[in-house]
Amino acid sequence: MKPIMRVENLGKKYSLGAREVIAPTLREALVRFVKNTAERFSRGRDTDAQTVWALSGVTFEVYPGEVVGVIGRNGAGKSTLLKILSRITKPTMGLADLYGRTGSLLEVGTGFHPDLTGRENIHLNGAILGMKREEISRKFDEIVAFAEVDRFLDTPVKRYSTGMYLRLAFAVAAHLDPEILLLDEVLTVGDALFQKKCFAKMKEVGREGKTVLFVSHNTASVQHLCGRALYLRNGVLSEEGKPDAVIASYLKDLSESESAGLAC
Amino acid sequence: MIERPSSDSGYSRPDESAGVMVCDPPDVADERSVELFLHAVLPEEPLVKIRPGNSLTKIEFGELWAHRELLYFMMWRDLKVRYRQTILGASWVILQPLLLTLVFAIFLGKLVKVPSDGVPYPIFAYAGLLLWMFLSNAVLSSSYSLVVNAHIITKVYFSRLLIPGAAVGVRLLDLIIASLILVALMFYYGVTLTWSILMLPVFVIQITALALGVGIWTSALNVRYRDVGTMLPILLQLWMFVSPIIYPSSIVPERWRSLYFLNPLAGTVEGFRASLLGLPFDWRSIVISTAITLALLVCSIYAFRRMEESFADDV
Repeated sequence: MKPIMRVENLGKKYSLGAREVIAPTLREALVRFVKNTAERFSRGRDTDAQTVWALSGVTFEVYPGEVVGVIGRNGAGKSTLLKILSRITKPTMGLADLYGRTGSLLEVGTGFHPDLTGRENIHLNGAILGMKREEISRKFDEIVAFAEVDRFLDTPVKRYSTGMYLRLAFAVAAHLDPEILLLDEVLTVGDALFQKKCFAKMKEVGREGKTVLFVSHNTASVQHLCGRALYLRNGVLSEEGKPDAVIASYLKDLSESESAGLAC
Repeated sequence: MIERPSSDSGYSRPDESAGVMVCDPPDVADERSVELFLHAVLPEEPLVKIRPGNSLTKIEFGELWAHRELLYFMMWRDLKVRYRQTILGASWVILQPLLLTLVFAIFLGKLVKVPSDGVPYPIFAYAGLLLWMFLSNAVLSSSYSLVVNAHIITKVYFSRLLIPGAAVGVRLLDLIIASLILVALMFYYGVTLTWSILMLPVFVIQITALALGVGIWTSALNVRYRDVGTMLPILLQLWMFVSPIIYPSSIVPERWRSLYFLNPLAGTVEGFRASLLGLPFDWRSIVISTAITLALLVCSIYAFRRMEESFADDV
């Protein structure tokens, strides 16, 4: 079968910009200032600047209807991968092809404005996430019911409790209808009951034949939701396969580095 | 709830009663692929191709058009938010040029006696200030638009041109509201309309294009060099004084005119006033300003496109 997402040798380099060393004299500072400014305007000549590969040589394929989990420690490149696939940032090398309408959710409540009411934010957030106006109106009642905020619909969201805010934000996102869904740690919102609801919703999304790429620290949710898992370590894809096996080696690495940290 | 097709019985075993979510085993892919074939046939060519580098130098009009509703929502948000917790609300839009006109009418019109091409000075100045306030506000708010919307830029992808575009769009609505006073002033001073008024939309489009041209460029520059935001108010002030806003271009000596009209705003403002007040058009300056405005807009979109890819990393 043809993959719906093909990622080949993907890499992203960031420069750390370690130019800021305090100048010993004022004259030196001025010279550096002029030099740096000139450099900055000639753009992108960061020869001696330190660089780091947030992601390198990542290759994988995802097939239609698959729910794939991406796990790894902080800074392993999970979010960078999602950012590249969502077209927010460009890769430094490699390529990725997506064969379906893509919706990405890197954060719950992107574009929510504190001064706007719940009702207004549903419309705004929906539009930002790529829904059509007619689509939002159609799903409006469903979103409100899901978020359980009907009483506060005309209250500015800055007066919402954190839980209400997150519920509303997740509710909008959960009603996105793309063929490929890119998710970053969004299931960790709300209380246990709401989380269960979110899980059920996510399962439903998977069952509808949508393809999901799901980034998480939470190995339990990856285990529950995903049919396959990718393990990123220091920007490199170190393992892929059944969630159980991949999670096991991830946890093994974790405990190893923990004991190594304790040793020294 | 949306009615789901009953096709999901084959591979999913919802087991909520036990409180455990059971995972779809990956080895039933064959069964699934049959179903998927029915409602999701993959296209031959990828919908989205992600490649490194400067591949996006062409303007994707299709994409802009697809996101037109988002443009509407962003404008709507800016308007809503701007007048939250204000007492005077939208009347600020009118007060701003009105107060300026009042001051200029007293000091320049009455005391200094600046000529105004035979039109009452207040209406002359208001027409100019109306356009100027639009341009200046549009350029300022769009130059900050990307920085202000950084939290969206780093989390969602859409054509980034929409952001400065929406900022200009909102100011265009301001311009239309503030024009109501212009109509009242014209009525009060008994200005009679001529056929020249039909040219009015042309000049409004032209100044919008100019605002977009400058705003789009500065918005992109401001992402990387925040100096732009600091510098801009001063530059705008200078720009106002080298443009025929509160004085007519006719006071500029003839031999300096061709230089003077290289400022694309000059021809536009003079054209706007001429069509409104029934003065003769200076076609030469109109053609020059149109050409420069268009060139600026094209260059600025191109520059924006080149810088766009690193916005999320720089902002």
